[in-house]
Amino acid sequence: MPDWVIRSEGFGKRYGKRQAVSGISLAVRAGELFGLIGPDGAGKSSLMKAVAGVLKYDSGTLEVFGTDMARDAAAESVKARIGLMPQGLGQNLYGDLSVEENVDFFAKLRLVPDELARERKEKLLGVTRLANFRTRPMKQLSGGMKQKLGLVCTLIHAPELIVLDEPTTGVDPVSRRDFWQILAELVSSQGLSALVSTAYMDEASRFARMALMHEGRVLAQGQPKEILALRAGSVVSCVPHEQVRARAALAANYAQVEALGPRLRVFVPELAREAAEGAVTRLIDAAGGATAYDSGEAELEDVFVALLAGSHTSADAGEASAAPAAAGNAAAPAIEAISLARRFGDFVAVSDVSFTVREGEIFGLLGANGAGKTTAIKMLTGILPPSSGGGRIAGVDIARELGCVKSRIGYMSQAFSLYLDLTVSENIRLYAGLYGLTRAERAARLDWVLEMAGLHALADTLAAELPMGQRQRLALGCALVHRPRVLFLDEPTSGVDPVGRRAFWDVLFRLSRVDGVALLVTTHYMSEAEHCDHLALMFAGRIVADATPGAMKAALEQDMGALYEVSGEKAPAFAPVLAAAGITGVSVHGRNLHVLCRDGARLTALAGGQGGLQVRARALTMEDVFVERVRALEKEAGR
Amino acid sequence: MKLERVRALAWKEWREIVRDRLFFALAFVVPALLMVLFGYGLSFDVENVPFALIDHDRSVQSRDYGYRFIGSRYFDFKGYAADEADAYDLIAGGEVRAVLVIPPGFGRDLAQGRPARVQTLIDGTFPNRALTIRGYVSAINAERSLDSAANYLAARSGTPYADVRARLQPVSLEVRYLFNEAVLSIWSLAPKLIMLILMISPPFLTALGVVREKENGSIFNIYASDISRGEFLLGKLAPYVAISCVNSLLLWLMAVGLYRVPFKGDFAFFALASMVYVACTTGIGLVVSVLVRTQIAAMIVTMVITLIPAVLYSGLIIPVASLSDAASFVAHAMPAMYYADIVAGCFLKGAGGAELWRPLLVLALYACALFAAGYALFSKRPAS
Repeated sequence: MPDWVIRSEGFGKRYGKRQAVSGISLAVRAGELFGLIGPDGAGKSSLMKAVAGVLKYDSGTLEVFGTDMARDAAAESVKARIGLMPQGLGQNLYGDLSVEENVDFFAKLRLVPDELARERKEKLLGVTRLANFRTRPMKQLSGGMKQKLGLVCTLIHAPELIVLDEPTTGVDPVSRRDFWQILAELVSSQGLSALVSTAYMDEASRFARMALMHEGRVLAQGQPKEILALRAGSVVSCVPHEQVRARAALAANYAQVEALGPRLRVFVPELAREAAEGAVTRLIDAAGGATAYDSGEAELEDVFVALLAGSHTSADAGEASAAPAAAGNAAAPAIEAISLARRFGDFVAVSDVSFTVREGEIFGLLGANGAGKTTAIKMLTGILPPSSGGGRIAGVDIARELGCVKSRIGYMSQAFSLYLDLTVSENIRLYAGLYGLTRAERAARLDWVLEMAGLHALADTLAAELPMGQRQRLALGCALVHRPRVLFLDEPTSGVDPVGRRAFWDVLFRLSRVDGVALLVTTHYMSEAEHCDHLALMFAGRIVADATPGAMKAALEQDMGALYEVSGEKAPAFAPVLAAAGITGVSVHGRNLHVLCRDGARLTALAGGQGGLQVRARALTMEDVFVERVRALEKEAGR
Repeated sequence: MKLERVRALAWKEWREIVRDRLFFALAFVVPALLMVLFGYGLSFDVENVPFALIDHDRSVQSRDYGYRFIGSRYFDFKGYAADEADAYDLIAGGEVRAVLVIPPGFGRDLAQGRPARVQTLIDGTFPNRALTIRGYVSAINAERSLDSAANYLAARSGTPYADVRARLQPVSLEVRYLFNEAVLSIWSLAPKLIMLILMISPPFLTALGVVREKENGSIFNIYASDISRGEFLLGKLAPYVAISCVNSLLLWLMAVGLYRVPFKGDFAFFALASMVYVACTTGIGLVVSVLVRTQIAAMIVTMVITLIPAVLYSGLIIPVASLSDAASFVAHAMPAMYYADIVAGCFLKGAGGAELWRPLLVLALYACALFAAGYALFSKRPAS
């Protein structure tokens, strides 16, 4: 068997006139977990389908197990050794069949002898903890369980290579971690090779090697540390006294500046931590000063954005600030939820939810699918009457003065609710008309939205032809056309690439800080939760935590300990040692381990005993907070 | 060819059909339902025509004339109307389809030997039905005219009435209808409905069943595995062909049991022809399914290429012989007409393989061609 499982040279694929991918050269070694990372439309799926022999391609060479995949017959000859899990949550499974019937069907389809199939089925259902659900119809499984069942079905014929297309998209963070854990175990215990794609940058650490993809090309490939080395630099963050001014000062010097709640985070290329911190301090001292400086190494997303800089021009949103919005009642909070509750029959979707959002604040509502986020938003926007409790928008009661509330709020949904067959300016005019703006106002707001979204040059382009990032900013503009004081955003950044996402958050930053608009955002991208000033975590219809991101992390560190990364050749072999020592918060990330424990000294001592292992402290992320909190709650709920 | 794989696929498909309420209904309820709805709704017989009378004369003669219509099995008397305006409203409102207007002086004119005029108002919105009603009215009117002429001549000449009546109509026409003795349209319709329903249901089921897998991505399980195209198509389509065979038996039972259509032909031949026809229409669904991507597109395309030709170009409503050259060409190019010939022959004419082997052969060739096309067009490694 050749050392390379997959090799491609100048691989290209076009759909009609559209070139989906081109010039892709990459190689995947036997036994490795290889990642394809990139936003929607990067060309990940085309490449993966071609590797699995289910898509014809147009140019270049592609070898799988040393077989040239150009011809149908050749592709057919290696299919017995490959398992493919296509994109979509359990979409390739059969909803009306039970868990076990699904597995049995895949086994028969692959001609696995009965005895062997039974043995493997029991083992895989055990590993994925699905054994207790074997008679449940697939369609009644949760998203995370569907993905695990998909993995079982993909593995039932013991393939040597598995191809998993975005297995974690749309799955909540807890299930996502679970899935990666199981996948890492299976890949190492069965000597599998795996090609796995993801749109989540923060999942990159899960891979031994990876390729960063964007718009049909590979930007970089290699081990995470090799990719990070392509754009050396450090990340500095601090809490400035005058955030808007400090941000402007930094943005004049550095391409990547982000506002995370009260903090600013800046990527300083080429400089080491101390030097970078010094450079940033000098700039900010001239712009009002700051406290709580912190610095660290750059993350993959910083490098990704840096690699794209230069090639990517369309994402720049206009810097011109939002025109002052209609004056609100400054004394009252922008959004108040007071013991909101909603029942659907016996099912309690939301119970006793209270929170307050001030003017100019970015408030994040986090929670897994079905936690009640969307129901809460629907009640606050007056779409759904609450069963009990109530709320106020800018001091106006939602139950009593619905019409008045609707003119004060903007709402941007997950689906962006644009008319794709209308042009950019037609979409904006339509929304202006729906909100009853006068002729003069309409012209002014059209101009403002085009400026804000950086779409002046594209005013006559059909919305359908815009890339996701621009479409998203257009949707935001439409939601803002009537100058609302309060803006609701329901999962606003699904499917948008990191550059577009950052541009979007820049717009939201200006809206909140300069214009004083209150923003309520729901998201399941945990990295986005970091942008919020304040967070509420929902679980089973209730708010279980309500604090700033910093306070939530501090509380987790208090309860569970700090996060450490163990790296080195023998890191994977270290996991059983930790388990034996009674340290439970261990997860596999590519070639490293992440360990959540209270006693850092003990961990270092244990690692020292192994030789060749390094232990470093890592900053906790909002995902850590979310996963640990939800796991604890699930345990409490007796699941 | 690994039969084990074919069986696994067919078994999976079968369970999905049975457990999905929509598919189950589409497979087993819709065909029978169509048979009932079309059978009762689509009658070409014109009987019991609702009609009204306007009798301005109110004489013995006018009443006698009116009773000839009231007593006829072709007319259903709804009552007397006051005047023409009233009659217009009744026809416009759809309460009656014809109104007979007997003018003043009708009885007096007849008694004095002057020709009397009677007016008939007929709802002309459906030309065929209007012409049929006109035919009924003319026939009853002619009968009445002959009777009164015979009465007059008998009274004048002293010859017995029966003799005069016979001389007035020296040639009388005897009609005997063959194969459908009572000329009941349902006898001709019910067998052709089997043709129509088996043209709609199998392609719909098949196209939706295959395209559903394309739409939700489970087709990738097939693409990515080492199953052969033949194994896949066999396993996937077998349940649909089997279901449609059961349905053809069910429809036959309904035609014979519910609509009392006599079955005079060779049942074994009919069963064989039905299987071939069902395979053929399933093949249409297969070809549609490899060409489209979404279930909506599959439904629309299937509807256009099956329902319309089967209704218009199969002899269901208009005999193929009466079609224009172009329409007749279309009819010959579609499988529906051949099976329509087979069912009509088997049910009413008592025909079997000896007479009907030709259309059966055409259907078999059709089925082979469709499956070959489906096989060739289905790719486990498509270009998009």
